[in-house]
Amino acid sequence: MNLTCYFSLSRFLQLLKLEWSRSRKGILITFLITFGLLFTVFILESVFSYSKICNSHPSAYAFALLTAGFILSSLAFNDLGHSLRRHNYLMLPASTFEKFFSMWLLTCAGWIIAFTLVYILYSAGANALGHLFFSDRTYIAFSPVARIPVNAICYYLAIQGVFLVGAVHFRGFVFPKTILALLIFGMVCGIIFYFTMSDLFQTNPEFINEYSVLKNNALYKVWMMVRWMFRWLLAPLCWVITCLGLKEQEV
Amino acid sequence: MIKIENLSFSYHHRKLLFDRLNLVLPPGNIYGLLGRNGAGKTTLLKIIAGLLFPKTGRIDVMGFYPKDRHPQFLSEIFLIAEEFNLPSMKMEHFVHLYSPFYPRFNHNLFKEYSEELKLPEEEKLSVMSYGQKKNFLLSFGLATDSRLLILDEPTNGLDIPSKSRFRKIVANAIHDERSFIISTHQVRDMENLIDPIIILDEGKIIFSQDCERISGRLAFTKQAEIADRKGLVYYESVLGGYAVVKENTEHDETRMNLELLFNAVISNKEEINAIFNS
Repeated sequence: MNLTCYFSLSRFLQLLKLEWSRSRKGILITFLITFGLLFTVFILESVFSYSKICNSHPSAYAFALLTAGFILSSLAFNDLGHSLRRHNYLMLPASTFEKFFSMWLLTCAGWIIAFTLVYILYSAGANALGHLFFSDRTYIAFSPVARIPVNAICYYLAIQGVFLVGAVHFRGFVFPKTILALLIFGMVCGIIFYFTMSDLFQTNPEFINEYSVLKNNALYKVWMMVRWMFRWLLAPLCWVITCLGLKEQEV
Repeated sequence: MIKIENLSFSYHHRKLLFDRLNLVLPPGNIYGLLGRNGAGKTTLLKIIAGLLFPKTGRIDVMGFYPKDRHPQFLSEIFLIAEEFNLPSMKMEHFVHLYSPFYPRFNHNLFKEYSEELKLPEEEKLSVMSYGQKKNFLLSFGLATDSRLLILDEPTNGLDIPSKSRFRKIVANAIHDERSFIISTHQVRDMENLIDPIIILDEGKIIFSQDCERISGRLAFTKQAEIADRKGLVYYESVLGGYAVVKENTEHDETRMNLELLFNAVISNKEEINAIFNS
């Protein structure tokens, strides 16, 4: 089997260069908007917050990483949504895996690394400005290895694939369509969960408060399995679906 | 180079456009794919390029199955579609980014073509005129030295000098290992360029012959009037008489008129087939 059918490093690097060249403006605009909004919120917090200690960076980082990252991921295969650009993209001499992997690098690993680095610089700058203009307040330095940022990165790694699937399968308005699909999926899961657990809720009133009751229940194992699947299977499954979706694209 | 066997294709929930289509195209030729609007020319080209997938049947293009979109296959094929989109960047930047995907891309040749076609180097591709964009794609496509170049309505939007230059450049770029497929309904632009001629109608190949055989079997003449219709395959009134297509029983050497041939095949395919099969 000739592996260059699927992956050739020189071709992949060339593709990465091409994709970066084509999408750098979009990524730059995403950064500008995101950090512009973050700074606005930071100033508002400094002005209006009752607390003298400002520690909003971890949650702001998590929110911005997830939201802007998902929007960026929704734009990943933007060419497929335009009839004229679509066949340029499909005719580009690179394998489906290379096309997927280059986008994954830009929108997942690349995004996390670039966003985190820029956020570290931004938070340092914002905190310095905060100290300068609001000297009565204390600004806590941002640490990317704290619990909230690390959790946000883990959630991003797990869920981002869903938006890549959306980017391949939806034509236009990818982000809202993917969010809608996720909401519908969530509602279906919620309804199933409710009907499965309703007996338990009604027969064990302490069920909601007592973790041990929940832990001893047979359904707990199912829940743990779902959680494990979410953490470890959702992303790879989405990557495979994205690759297959790319391969099956026609004009 | 291209072998199509029993290919069937339909767009979603529509009747079959191609039903058991067969076609063999050896390398080294400039094929002219002619047909009326909606005959399936563009669809066939897209299937060959791997942009549309056949429902059934086999298709082999340079030893590849186009649906796989194998990178080596894609680097050996270049499609210039009738409608296209070019990114907002200068020619030089485009070549810098895209040419490495084509291992035999010839930069000198690209420069030569772009000079001959008078392409504006300093302008961004997105602001060029339609004809200039098309000429750019032609220059790039030819410079890739891909073994199969597919051109869908290449002369649409080109001015008269550009059409002449197009014919000259394309005729000089062909070699034994390479094939061009030119789909068009502007047959006059392609005279003396395309050979063999393939005519597609209602999803079927109704005619596929090389020019030498066509000239040997059919005579293209002009008559003042039509006294006897016997032996005539097709005629149409022109200024000062009738343009006529008839069986070349006298072995006359006449100049092939592509437009007349196309009309003759479309309107009288049974008789044409009978002449070529006799």
